[in-house]
Amino acid sequence: MRLRTTSAMAGVSALLLLTGCGAADMTKQASPFANAQGSKTVTLSVQSWVGAQANVAVAQYLLEHELGYRVDTVQVDEVPAWDALSQGRVDAIMEDWGHPEQEQRYVKDKKTIARGGELGVTGHIGWFVPTYFAKKHPDVTNWKNLNKYADELRTPESGGKGQLLDGSPSYVTNDKALVKNLNLDYQVVFAGSEAAQITQMRQFAKEKKPFLTYWYAPQWLFKKVPMTEVKLPPYKEGCDADPDKVACAYPHTPLQKYLNSDFARSGGEAAALLKNFKWTTEDQNQVALMIADQKLTPEEAAKKWVDSHESTWRAWLP
Amino acid sequence: MSTLTTPAATDTAVDAPVFSVENLWKVFGPKADRVPADPELTALAPAELRSRTGCTAAVRDVSFDVRKGEVFVVMGLSGSGKSTLVRCLTRLIEPTSGRIAIDGEDVLGMDKARLRELRRHRASMVFQHFGLLPHRSVLDNVAYGLEVQGMGKAERRARAKEIVAKVGLEGMEQRRPGQLSGGQQQRVGLARALAVDPQVLLFDEPFSALDPLIRRDMQEEVVRLHREEGRTMVFITHDLNEALKLGDRIALMRDGQVVQLGTPEEIVGSPADDYVREFVREVPREQVMTVRTAMRPPESADEAGRGPAVAPDVTVSEAIEAVARTGTAARVVDDGRCLGVVDSDALLGVVAGTNTGTNGAAPKPASAVPAQATGSKAKADTKADAGEEVV
Amino acid sequence: MATVTAPTVRTGLPGLLKHRALAKLVLIALAAAVLIPVVNARWASGSWPDALTVDLSEPLGRASDWIIDNRDSHPLFLYFFGHISNAVVLSVRAVYLVLLAAGWAGVTAAAALVAWRTAGLKLALGTGLAFLTCGLLGMWVPTMQTLALMVVAVLASVVLGALLGLAAGLSDRTYRALRPVLDTMQVLPAFAYLLPVVLVFGIGVPAAVLATVVYAAPPMARLTALGLRGADQGVLEAVESLGTTARQRLMTARLPLARKELLLGLNQTIMMALSMAVIASVIGAGGLGDRVYQALASVDVGAALAAGIPIVLLAVVLDRVTAAAGDRLGGDGPETSGRLRALQWGGAAVLAVAAAIAARLAGRLDWPEAWVVNIAEPVNRAVDWMTAHLYSGVPYIGGTADWAGHFTTWVLDPLRSGLQGLPWWSVLLIVATLAWLIGTWQTALTAVLAMAGIGVLGVWQSSLDTLSQVLAAVAVTLVLGLATGIAAARSDRVERLLRPVLDVFQTMPQFVYLIPVVALFGVGRAPAVAAAVVYALPAVVRITTQGLRQVDPAALESARSLGASSGQQLRQVQLPLARPALLLAVNQGVVLVLAVVIIGGLVGGGALGYDVVFGLAQGDLATGLVAGVAIVCLGLVLDRVTQPTERRRTTKGA
Repeated sequence: MRLRTTSAMAGVSALLLLTGCGAADMTKQASPFANAQGSKTVTLSVQSWVGAQANVAVAQYLLEHELGYRVDTVQVDEVPAWDALSQGRVDAIMEDWGHPEQEQRYVKDKKTIARGGELGVTGHIGWFVPTYFAKKHPDVTNWKNLNKYADELRTPESGGKGQLLDGSPSYVTNDKALVKNLNLDYQVVFAGSEAAQITQMRQFAKEKKPFLTYWYAPQWLFKKVPMTEVKLPPYKEGCDADPDKVACAYPHTPLQKYLNSDFARSGGEAAALLKNFKWTTEDQNQVALMIADQKLTPEEAAKKWVDSHESTWRAWLP
Repeated sequence: MSTLTTPAATDTAVDAPVFSVENLWKVFGPKADRVPADPELTALAPAELRSRTGCTAAVRDVSFDVRKGEVFVVMGLSGSGKSTLVRCLTRLIEPTSGRIAIDGEDVLGMDKARLRELRRHRASMVFQHFGLLPHRSVLDNVAYGLEVQGMGKAERRARAKEIVAKVGLEGMEQRRPGQLSGGQQQRVGLARALAVDPQVLLFDEPFSALDPLIRRDMQEEVVRLHREEGRTMVFITHDLNEALKLGDRIALMRDGQVVQLGTPEEIVGSPADDYVREFVREVPREQVMTVRTAMRPPESADEAGRGPAVAPDVTVSEAIEAVARTGTAARVVDDGRCLGVVDSDALLGVVAGTNTGTNGAAPKPASAVPAQATGSKAKADTKADAGEEVV
Repeated sequence: MATVTAPTVRTGLPGLLKHRALAKLVLIALAAAVLIPVVNARWASGSWPDALTVDLSEPLGRASDWIIDNRDSHPLFLYFFGHISNAVVLSVRAVYLVLLAAGWAGVTAAAALVAWRTAGLKLALGTGLAFLTCGLLGMWVPTMQTLALMVVAVLASVVLGALLGLAAGLSDRTYRALRPVLDTMQVLPAFAYLLPVVLVFGIGVPAAVLATVVYAAPPMARLTALGLRGADQGVLEAVESLGTTARQRLMTARLPLARKELLLGLNQTIMMALSMAVIASVIGAGGLGDRVYQALASVDVGAALAAGIPIVLLAVVLDRVTAAAGDRLGGDGPETSGRLRALQWGGAAVLAVAAAIAARLAGRLDWPEAWVVNIAEPVNRAVDWMTAHLYSGVPYIGGTADWAGHFTTWVLDPLRSGLQGLPWWSVLLIVATLAWLIGTWQTALTAVLAMAGIGVLGVWQSSLDTLSQVLAAVAVTLVLGLATGIAAARSDRVERLLRPVLDVFQTMPQFVYLIPVVALFGVGRAPAVAAAVVYALPAVVRITTQGLRQVDPAALESARSLGASSGQQLRQVQLPLARPALLLAVNQGVVLVLAVVIIGGLVGGGALGYDVVFGLAQGDLATGLVAGVAIVCLGLVLDRVTQPTERRRTTKGA
């Protein structure tokens, strides 16, 4: 018994000794894979959609080939990416679709994240039907007529209602509220990941079946599956304030870049390049299409784009 | 009792008991302590005891001495408590009550270090299922006891090598136990016990798992070892023939109690009760009994001077041969003195089991004293008897 | 539920058991007759009554905010979690740097030589080839990242597990306390571990490593305890009789005697760590898993496969080498002398270093880009062709999409609406009855409490949705698995053909299944079920085959001597005698299916899986953690309901 107490005491004091050595702030730890070969390393967050991969691919290519950095990429969902950015585990997010809550917390309150300027691309979320379907039934493009087509858009997954296909759980979406508040006879079916959603849409398109989906632009899939937007009640400032009562369209969002504050201050040429990085929807789509459709590796796609758009990226170099 | 506490143990070292066991109890079950202490409970039959208290008495009030240099056999059927008994000797199983002494030193009072010392140097054990370490070679198994004592590698291996040779396993030093036959494995077990050069060897049914031919070989091996080294041995077995073959003295156990303790001849010649009698019924008596039991005083000087002479510890079957050859009664001669005669009637009586060896003229037998149900009396008798012989 | 367990209840229960079962049924019926009217009058609703739920979203939201706000200031984080996290980062980094410094040649040589020394020449060749393939696929660096993470996670798991196992192996009280915990952890889907860890450590390698350790340590602890407790008592007694101290007994007898179990534990731990290291890419583990995950995002089956193959290769190599090492140690081969062994190991080390230096001198430390083979393109073409031709419109049998549709409409939907339509108390009653009939009243109580816990958490509906998918998948798995298992048990050739397939499928990380099933079955619950079936099938087939093969040959012989046809032998002798193994197959099937149905949230499985994914993706602790706990509860229910009284479970992947 005494032995046990003694050893317990020894354990506790050893622990105290160990931890007493100093504080360890894990929010300041970098990835163990960073800086692996002694070179300057930048870690970029890649979101799961291809547009974001295109940004990162080009930024990575330029950082590596023009500035001599080594680039690590980590795939993280949007909200956790903010957290990782704040902790310095990633240095930059190249494309953000608007997360006011996180912006408030990290940029304004904690000041661990700094704005990195606009990406130059304007994002828009909406509901889309394939163009071949819209041509056949022009009135489907107004939300008021959607209930008429609920029957045609039924799938096994949506039960007795029409199917509104939604994507990854990480995306910004008000669809459930919209369906309810606009009294639509639809069921939101979550594909669970963008990959699954795209696969499903292409399968539908191949058979020229009608479908209704949550989608966003810019997106390379429009090139493969032409789609037409369904008009929802127009967006007004603040109409999406209460997530339960939303009954209006999604806004058009100028996409933003964010940098870890420390990196923004002391990141040198890399930080400067990422701040300057600004291109058009067209550019992004071009690279995204190469990656997603021609199945080029992001690096090859970036190289192709960089080779043919020197004037654009020359301006970004510090 | 006096033999234990009085200088008896010290007077002649040769005759001091190696192990001395007194009133030993081992009770399994809840609150086992109270059983030996309560005379009402000790009087109960095993089944009753279990139903009353939930306890099982594996060893009930057992007492005996193991003399230096003898082979002391404990024999009984399975469940008789013999294996528990031998484990109590080195406290592999902690006895419930009683006394055990080794060379006069109290075993139950030993602290952990002293007990380890006892197990390391003074008593080692050979097990029914060998208990070898499967991941070690034969050599390292044999050297294990020495390793435990802290002996250096080269030294213990050299010593182990000798022992391996002694038990007839040369050339197999590097094999693993799994590659050996049962008999060979038990030789390793024996070698491991011998390697530490213990004062006493304890055998717990060492040959029960072997087939008959190999068993005989191993018995011969033990006999040989005993002859060569004269080491004290305590040997547990359920095989009566084995007990008779190896034992200098035999304690016969039933339901945790010693029902009879004596030489093979006494056990066979004068069974203490019906249980023992039933047990020894099939034994070829003429091969166990000696002429000392069968003889009668010579009726005349003529008789004492004629006929073939035999030694008193010659078996009856040998005497029969002599008598049959000459056609006359044989004389039992010890140191040139005629103790008595055996004629064909007496010898036949032994074979038929009618002669119980109670001839008045026979020297006072180291008599087979029946152990009664009340253990204390049995013990008293045994002790008294033992004492008589010692003195 | 009926689909799963009905056969086991019906098949040859001995008379006594039938009697006991009857008594149990009567008791439950009595309890139900008394309780149900009361309960029904109080909370009359089909679904779990709102009055009995507890809304945790607010406190959980606050907790998560507090953690995020205090992560860089509170002493708990600075002085405890911070150091843990630091240690993980440092050690992973150290291993990673060593691996990079050794270069591809050094690592390959070292791995092959280690395999040679522990497992023989054939496996050494295989190991070398496997590593070269990783390079050839252009996955060298991600492979090294995964390897670095694995090394640290496995070491930590083994140390932690062995210590726990040691404590449980030597002390009865610890064993009794630890066993239910370990048993429960064994049945939890990997996904359920991620959120709490992420919450504390944030996204990144530390979180990934710790989640992996928590997931992979239990089998080590279990097997260590089992090995220590199962040691031959005779040997231990003999060792004690020689006067050993407790320490000597442990070091020279108990541990060496348990070495088989210890190595099996190592093997299990490695396999579980690898599968978790891949899943943990969702929380920033990096490495191969991350490549699979990224490829999933762009629907690039080829790229996913290119990253998946190294994972499978790593898994197979690690599995085989540790298993072979275990067999060698357990075997009775003559002992090679210590000096010879040291010489061989030394030689191996020198060779490995030489290879590393040679590569470095040749300037080929990184895998040469020219040697990379791009398999993504042909694979994608094949997949496209497959989906194009199989997806729909195949004459007579219909396309896979049609099957998925029919399966959803005719099986999943009715099952889900049936379950969700049941009054809540009747679900509890069914759970109680099944668990009690198959197990003991303790298992029944655990199951009922877990089920009620789901209701209290307010995720009754989605849990039943998940349950319906699990049941459908288990039914399909059992039908296919038992049929295949019987075929394999009856024909050596079938078994030989099946074995490598089963091995590969069993070591394949769950993630790799997802994309092909979406391509074939579309989005929704059907692909989730399909992935689950594919994942659980190997274990069910294997256990069934083993169970049938181990049936007492004497019983079979006597049946044959009575002139039983082979069908009769199967029905009347083999199947009844293999009943424990079959029950085990059901239990394993259920546990494995649940794990993948949850991951099915990524391909439209919805329900709890989606909630967990959502929680991770949105950093929404309330949704994610509640769903995670519900999964835990569901896992418990399913495990207890399918658990026969005599626990005879092998561990996952065994």
